[in-house]
Amino acid sequence: MGPLIPNGIIPIEWDSIIAIIIGIVFGFVLEASGFSSSRKLAGVFYGYDFAVLKVFFTAAAVSVIGIYYMDYLGYLDISQLYVHPTYLWGALIGGIIMGLGFVAAGFCPGTSLCAVAIGKLDAWVYIGGILIGVFIFSEFFTFFEPLYDGYYFGNKTLVESFGWNPYWVIFIFSIIAIIAFVVSDIVRKRVKKVFY
Amino acid sequence: MDKKKIARVTSFRYQILAMIFIVLAGGLVLLPKYQKHEGIKSEVLLSNAISPERYISTDQIANKIINQEPSFILIDVRDKESFKKYSLPNAINIPLAKLLNEESLPYLNQSQFDVVFFSNDNFYADQAWVLCRRLGFKNLRVLNGGLNKWFTTIINPEMPNEDMPKEAFALYSTRKASSMYFGVEYPDQVMTEDLNVNKPAPKQVITVQKKKKKPVEGGC
Repeated sequence: MGPLIPNGIIPIEWDSIIAIIIGIVFGFVLEASGFSSSRKLAGVFYGYDFAVLKVFFTAAAVSVIGIYYMDYLGYLDISQLYVHPTYLWGALIGGIIMGLGFVAAGFCPGTSLCAVAIGKLDAWVYIGGILIGVFIFSEFFTFFEPLYDGYYFGNKTLVESFGWNPYWVIFIFSIIAIIAFVVSDIVRKRVKKVFY
Repeated sequence: MDKKKIARVTSFRYQILAMIFIVLAGGLVLLPKYQKHEGIKSEVLLSNAISPERYISTDQIANKIINQEPSFILIDVRDKESFKKYSLPNAINIPLAKLLNEESLPYLNQSQFDVVFFSNDNFYADQAWVLCRRLGFKNLRVLNGGLNKWFTTIINPEMPNEDMPKEAFALYSTRKASSMYFGVEYPDQVMTEDLNVNKPAPKQVITVQKKKKKPVEGGC
């Protein structure tokens, strides 16, 4: 066994269809849990709402635990999973830009589309900003290209590059997650409540 | 009463979830580890191993060498000394002990060429085959009978008796011809030297038809 599409268990033609279905469900869950509200997302930075942190941390930890259990039981082959390649400076600078946009607008690209779907005007502005950014990037691509393609480190993982035991990493990661949840709860109680 | 109990339990729901979380993550650490095998499953290996398809006969390999087929690599898994003494033409020496070394993997782990293992018999070659096939390498073959059979069939083919079928004689003459390719001289061939066995092949004249010039046709 292994990942379903690369091993041909699900034909590759289903790729986009599955992506659309997952996308719809994902968008629905985002909207249902209130992530289409920019106040909720910005709450992480101002300390009155840590739902985003909790959700994403839990999602990462649950999926990594699930994947490693499935790998252990032989339903999945971790070595076949896609690891996103590292372009060091591209990722750092892109991350800073995205973080600025995130805190300024209170949307990440996914939730902004959710908010567009429920008709929020600031999300429309945000999408416009994304499109302008895309336009600038593509027009100046020759200028950005060394940053975009450079500093390539391959498909790096923490476990491989440091030679760590993945199971301990997961365990420590889960403990860090729970500590983060507790601390964020304490912070949330100290900070003045914002109703939205 | 029940509702109160439920409420008391659910007030601890986050703590309970956190506990489950830690138990699951800790379970991964504590689970007994086992060595995972890379490559194919043992059932597949077994079915490949008992299939005669993995053998290639000496006649086939001689035929391939003579026809200069580019599709295969010969790999000699014997030690260096034996390799220096005698080996098949263009063979690569990868002793069995160094089979899975890093420098030999590019020869074995590829899908462009057929890899043919051979040793004196097919015993060591079979071992090499099993090791590599288990790792999932493709297109592996074993020279059936190895170099010993190579000698008894190709280099020094046994002359068939008179009461043997026609095919045996045909096979014998093919083998004899191929042994001559590999440098064996036969007395009857030496006798017929006048016939000019080694006559250079006549130059092939390839006629190239000149393209007829087409009359200019109208176009836009």
